[in-house]
Amino acid sequence: MIESLLNNNMAWASARVRADSQFFRRLSEQQSPEYLWIGCSDSRVPANEIVGLDPGELFVHRNIANLAPPRDINFLSVLQYSVEVLKVRHIIVCGHYGCGGVRAALDTERRGLIDHWLQPVTELARAHADHLDTITDFEGRVNLTCELNVRAQVEYVGRNPFVADAWRRGQKLAVHGWIYSIRDGLLHDLELTIENARDVDALVRRRWSSNA
Amino acid sequence: MASMKKSGVLEPVPIELLREPLVWFFAEHYRHRDVCKRLLVLLDTVDHDADALQAIHDFLESDLPIHIIDEEDDLFPLLRRRCEPDDHIENVLGMLSGEHANDMHDAQAVRTVIAKAISEERGLRCYSESRSVIEHFCSAQKRHIAMENAVVLPIARIRITESDLQSLGQRLAARRGLPDPFAETP
Repeated sequence: MIESLLNNNMAWASARVRADSQFFRRLSEQQSPEYLWIGCSDSRVPANEIVGLDPGELFVHRNIANLAPPRDINFLSVLQYSVEVLKVRHIIVCGHYGCGGVRAALDTERRGLIDHWLQPVTELARAHADHLDTITDFEGRVNLTCELNVRAQVEYVGRNPFVADAWRRGQKLAVHGWIYSIRDGLLHDLELTIENARDVDALVRRRWSSNA
Repeated sequence: MASMKKSGVLEPVPIELLREPLVWFFAEHYRHRDVCKRLLVLLDTVDHDADALQAIHDFLESDLPIHIIDEEDDLFPLLRRRCEPDDHIENVLGMLSGEHANDMHDAQAVRTVIAKAISEERGLRCYSESRSVIEHFCSAQKRHIAMENAVVLPIARIRITESDLQSLGQRLAARRGLPDPFAETP
């Protein structure tokens, strides 16, 4: 029932005020999040909740398969606003194991427009076919591709002119690559953090796996 | 009856071992072998041992899937990052991941036959399908564990750092809803 959502909202707002009477007043005055979250649209990955942050603490951009496409005006607007206006200190690219978008990119079924959106993931998988083919289980291949996709997006973000300009200005900004497991609620740091242009070059040069 | 009750007990891995996560994995593998041994004994009897059957059913339903997540989401990705090309770990991990998927399927088949035995209060030998299902599961487990103990864990000992081990132990604990094994006690 759709009405239950409005009722839930009233209960939530009321509980918030009971816990902290100034919460909404503070929130309405300004937002100054330190983090930009680039995550998947999947309803099972609620960004704020899994990192224990309140409203106002995380600027969020979500799309299918947590992509950072260099020609997507929506993503670029979010990135520019968060870096240049909000001056976030950290950008987190967060994928998740079992991602339906990544799974769709790996199979041959045609779904329409989404196939075009997921084309970078399909191409990524093709580029790493030798590595992925060592995994006999399809879900295992999906999960490894989810990790590879996070890394590719971290590299895209690191090469983005808005980010490069921020570093050139001396702005403190780090880009991280994480992955979330819906099976246990745990985040994994994929150790892809970059904090300047040199880190991006080093990441691009770093091997992707022990057989890459 | 006391001895039948005792036969059902599956000793949990001591939580102190979470401070040494690779030893935890060895201990878990030992439990898996123990479960297989018990299953093969139960396979040969028409007597109903409710406690023993329930313990194995619970293990297959809860412990085995969590153990697979421990390896698939933590240990294997960590090894992929830490191992050197000369370790040739990718093919081994790729094969083991495939086996994990089969394990879940095979474990479901074993659970189905055990659930039937529990609900009808009979021994596993009473069911014609139980032998092939259980023997297949146990032999696959034995082979799988042998490979992990002989190849994966020894490489992990060399490649995984102290800080990795601490983070691994914390994650294994969190996955089970247990407190941080490395937290300072007041």
